[in-house]
Amino acid sequence: MTNGTIADVPRYAGPRDLLEIDLSARTSRRTPLADGVFADALGGVGLAVRLIDERVRGPIDALGAANPIVISAGPFASTPVPAANKHALATISPLTGLLNEGLSSSHFSAVLRRCGLAAIVVTGIADAWTTLVVDGERIAFDDASDLAGLSARETTKAIRDRYGDRSVRVCAIGAAGERGVRFASVENDGRQAGRGGTGAVFGAKRLKAIALRGRGEVGIADARATAEIAATLRTRALGPTTAKYRVLGTGANLRVLQRMGQLPTRNFGAAQFDGAERVTPERARESGGAYTELRAGCAGCPVQCEHMYVRKGRDRREAAASEYESVWAFGPNCGVDDLDAVLDAIGRCDELGLDTISTGGAIAFAMECAERGLVPRDAFAADLRFGNGAVLLPAIDAIAARRGLGDALADGVRAAARRIGGGADAFAMHCKGLELPGYEPRALPTYALGLATCTRGACHNRAATYDKDLRDPSSDPSDAARARDAIEAEDRAVAWDSLVLCKFVRDCFDDFESEAAALWSAVSGMPIDAGALRVAAHRTWERKRAINARLGWTPADDTLPPRLFDEAIASGPNAGRRIDRDRLDALRTAYEAQRAARYAGVIGSSTAIASVLPP
Amino acid sequence: MKVELFGMARAIAGVSHVDLALDEPVTLAEFLRALADAVPGLVPDVIAPARDAFVEPNLLLLDGRRAPAGDETFGAADNPCVLFLASGG
Repeated sequence: MTNGTIADVPRYAGPRDLLEIDLSARTSRRTPLADGVFADALGGVGLAVRLIDERVRGPIDALGAANPIVISAGPFASTPVPAANKHALATISPLTGLLNEGLSSSHFSAVLRRCGLAAIVVTGIADAWTTLVVDGERIAFDDASDLAGLSARETTKAIRDRYGDRSVRVCAIGAAGERGVRFASVENDGRQAGRGGTGAVFGAKRLKAIALRGRGEVGIADARATAEIAATLRTRALGPTTAKYRVLGTGANLRVLQRMGQLPTRNFGAAQFDGAERVTPERARESGGAYTELRAGCAGCPVQCEHMYVRKGRDRREAAASEYESVWAFGPNCGVDDLDAVLDAIGRCDELGLDTISTGGAIAFAMECAERGLVPRDAFAADLRFGNGAVLLPAIDAIAARRGLGDALADGVRAAARRIGGGADAFAMHCKGLELPGYEPRALPTYALGLATCTRGACHNRAATYDKDLRDPSSDPSDAARARDAIEAEDRAVAWDSLVLCKFVRDCFDDFESEAAALWSAVSGMPIDAGALRVAAHRTWERKRAINARLGWTPADDTLPPRLFDEAIASGPNAGRRIDRDRLDALRTAYEAQRAARYAGVIGSSTAIASVLPP
Repeated sequence: MKVELFGMARAIAGVSHVDLALDEPVTLAEFLRALADAVPGLVPDVIAPARDAFVEPNLLLLDGRRAPAGDETFGAADNPCVLFLASGG
């Protein structure tokens, strides 16, 4: 299914095997990918999207046997490059019905390459719960019946105990994925590929876990040049540009967005939250010892961005990550100002294998439904209303168990709104079925365009134009300028996600495209320049949209939730702002025109390598 | 001039705001020198060693919604706040 060797393409230095697994037939096939595949798609998301593109040629049941799960290694994983032990997961999302490509990181990513693999593709449905074992060259389909119901962490421990080897690296789903919650996550090494429900696709295939053990060498074309660039990056990654992540963590956004009036509150009913200060992670740090702070991070990353908190006297293993999006989802978005309740909710989601953004979004939506009389306020064990932290855990448990109202919410707010009726779709906060993250689109117009056009749905990491908006919120550039910014942000994200580098080191580059191209050239042995990197990113973006079009996407799907058009922000620095439908249409028109014109005639012509690539 | 601090600036200063003794209005360059004098620890992680620019991605916003342009002047009534914008998570 992949292209043969292309003449004149330099040899790719890294692990190149594709492992194809059919769970129905319990068969495996291992084949080397051609050099041209890497020149075309790089790795990570670019490679995963290419492999999906080859296999999904029309409408497909996301929970059926034919839907492939692709796990694709970052091309810098298991090399000296910092913040790069990462991998991509791609599949057709059961939440959106469209392409979903996510990222995870740490040891699992590195060991994937030490198994000699560039990617794994899993199709089929197993007869019973299964752990796919990749032990170097050996493949096994282990019975996982005894692992059903366990969390990813417990599953990892059980598999390691079975093998008597703590170096085994595992990605696994929790109970939510087993029960088909459409925003279930996949976890490895304490990191989650959270968004879009890849965990539910694992569950539908009865794939409980993938266990890797590999100690092979990972080839680097120019080890000396790689080491030099990596050392520079590592030094920069310990400097001021990543200080926030190292010292404070992403949770520090909460105070900033509250001050700027851009903190979505109570299901986007407001843009400032009176209780924001009480749920900031800094509050935990400044609590005088009420919480213990733990630091964590991915393998090989100097930033160690994760700041976890646990109440004094509790087991440290109960510490919950205080990432901004997670704190926002259960704090301001649910109107909850109880930090303990928020941290407990985050911890429970990780235990059950749930995406925190979508789970918080679903509960906030349910709270609004209850306050409007569309669902009973006693649907869960505690009063279902904004601000009641006591309802978070019962609601999360009901979603994971698909019990009562939780069953409707487990399909995401788009589907739940249809089931509940009564006009609930007016305040179901999603794009293409994926729940919104914690930035206020009405105050961030370029970001709003990026949310609407994003192939994944409402993802802040594929259309991260909020940085641009936040730098000068009052500026009002032309439609063409906003469209250009959105396109450049999307393509840059594809480049980051194909290489795969952590976006938290984005300010460690003076000229990202040039420096990243040099890094790719040194590691892979396939020289490219900045232009070729941009073209490769654009090519992957085109594939994403082509896949979605085959699945039924139309331009009309590139829109925003009705509330953002119909309700202005009521108070704060951005009072009165809303999304104008005509303006969004004009922005989309400008976006499409630039997308069509931007690379016309230049695809494949930027460098000698690209010039021999297939169209 | 009361200046609100967020992110790294607040973490380094250990306070949520500082009061600067300045003859208003001021330019960004004048503001940065005064802020560096008041909180020397902000150099070099928040304010560049030359004390004439922020270290990316720190910046100044007025009223929480606009960055001062070029040599634009501003005062306490503009509610200056120092933010660290890099996001994600």
